[in-house]
Amino acid sequence: MIEVVDLWKSFGENHVLKGIDLSIPRGTTFVVLGGSGSGKTVLMKHVIGLFKPDRGAVRVNGVEISRLEGKELTEARQAFGMVFQGAALFDSMTVLDNVAFPLTEKRRGARLPPDEIRARVVEKLKVVDLGEEVLGRWPSELSGGMRKRVALARALVSDPQVVLYDEPTTGLDPITTDYVDGMILSAKRKLGITSMVISHDIASAFKVADRLAVLYDGHLVAEGTPEEVRQSENPFVRRFLSLWFAKQ
Amino acid sequence: MQRVKAALEDFGRMLIFAAEAVAWAFRPPFRPELVVAQMAFIGVGSAFIVGATGLSAGMVFALQMNYALKQFAAEGYVGGSVAFSLARELAPVFTALMVTGRAGSAIATELGTMRVTEQIDAMESMAVNPIQYLVVPRIIASVVMFPVLTMIFNVIGYGGGFVMGVYVAGIPIGPFVEHTREFMEPSDILHGLLKAVIFGLIVAVITTWRGYAATGGARGVGEGTTRGVVMSSIAVLLADYVITFIAVGI
Repeated sequence: MIEVVDLWKSFGENHVLKGIDLSIPRGTTFVVLGGSGSGKTVLMKHVIGLFKPDRGAVRVNGVEISRLEGKELTEARQAFGMVFQGAALFDSMTVLDNVAFPLTEKRRGARLPPDEIRARVVEKLKVVDLGEEVLGRWPSELSGGMRKRVALARALVSDPQVVLYDEPTTGLDPITTDYVDGMILSAKRKLGITSMVISHDIASAFKVADRLAVLYDGHLVAEGTPEEVRQSENPFVRRFLSLWFAKQ
Repeated sequence: MQRVKAALEDFGRMLIFAAEAVAWAFRPPFRPELVVAQMAFIGVGSAFIVGATGLSAGMVFALQMNYALKQFAAEGYVGGSVAFSLARELAPVFTALMVTGRAGSAIATELGTMRVTEQIDAMESMAVNPIQYLVVPRIIASVVMFPVLTMIFNVIGYGGGFVMGVYVAGIPIGPFVEHTREFMEPSDILHGLLKAVIFGLIVAVITTWRGYAATGGARGVGEGTTRGVVMSSIAVLLADYVITFIAVGI
């Protein structure tokens, strides 16, 4: 369970988040929709403790992650996997080393045997429909869609309770977008993972979300099931969604 | 005034960053394989350019000293003056400047690219401290390898000076070597090596910081790299003066 309570964050004079409240039950997929620069990524980075709030709190399974520092924060982050907008694969590592990274680093004290690490990497690559032939490839040799899939495999490899997706479908063609949506749904269905997705891709958001919120001007201006958000009377939400629903 | 304030804030953040790196260096998990990889990149990878610079500096300095000392019929002192100058000044300073240009710029660029492509955030999200993983090995490798490279500079530089002095300028081997032994003390070598350790620390902290703090895409990475190289070079020259002043006085 993730709870965000009265979250405020500013960068200088730029007030990005102005009192965000939201709650994500275990095993559900929660999507935050919003335009570019609306503060979606800032909100997500608070959830994993990469940013500290100016005011308010972020709790994950009852632990206030926004107050943790050092070793405690490091331990709390082990419950998370995160898929970054540009995949954020390490350029200097092969696919095998990228996906294995959370295992080789997390378990340095009681290091897993290399064979077991490799087996778990292969298993997670299979979840995202990639075979062993990609293990030795470098990130620069992968297509955009493959990079996203490798990034998801890396996020899943340490069996996290929560996976955060930062704009997972940005810059992808419609077929790959559909594939990534399927991947998010499949990760939830097969592994029972709690997911938080931030996106401005309305079609994708309505496809994967159990619950959905719209972020505008630092506030969540609508929140509920996809159908409830679609019926919202908020002018921004109506304008934002109409552009896409008009095409349907 | 605003720029001075921003520069002071940046300097303060860099000092905190350096203190964090020192603290993380003594905490497990230790990653010797990353330190060795950085030693290979910073040390072995820079050996050729440092050796070539040393050879050139030693040869040219020997010729210049020969020209100057010949006025007083004191060519025999060329070997000593070359060795003394190399050990205390030329080797540590030139080595630091060359390694800043070759490895320091690469460090700032690599970390800057990792920052703007969210690879550093990704590392942090996977419960790995990026300062400990990325910065500490580079600082340790620099502090260890700068003195090694400085010694390479010393040896090759003196060799170049020897060839120029003895075989080109015609100084007899006996006085050349004898005056070297007369001029030089082990403390002269140690003085240069101490400088190299301090320069290694300075260059590694500044270039990793400029990369780590990069913002704004490719342009930000480029600016960070340029600032890293310029700041490191100036800091090395400044530190050289301070250390020499403290050691020698007026």
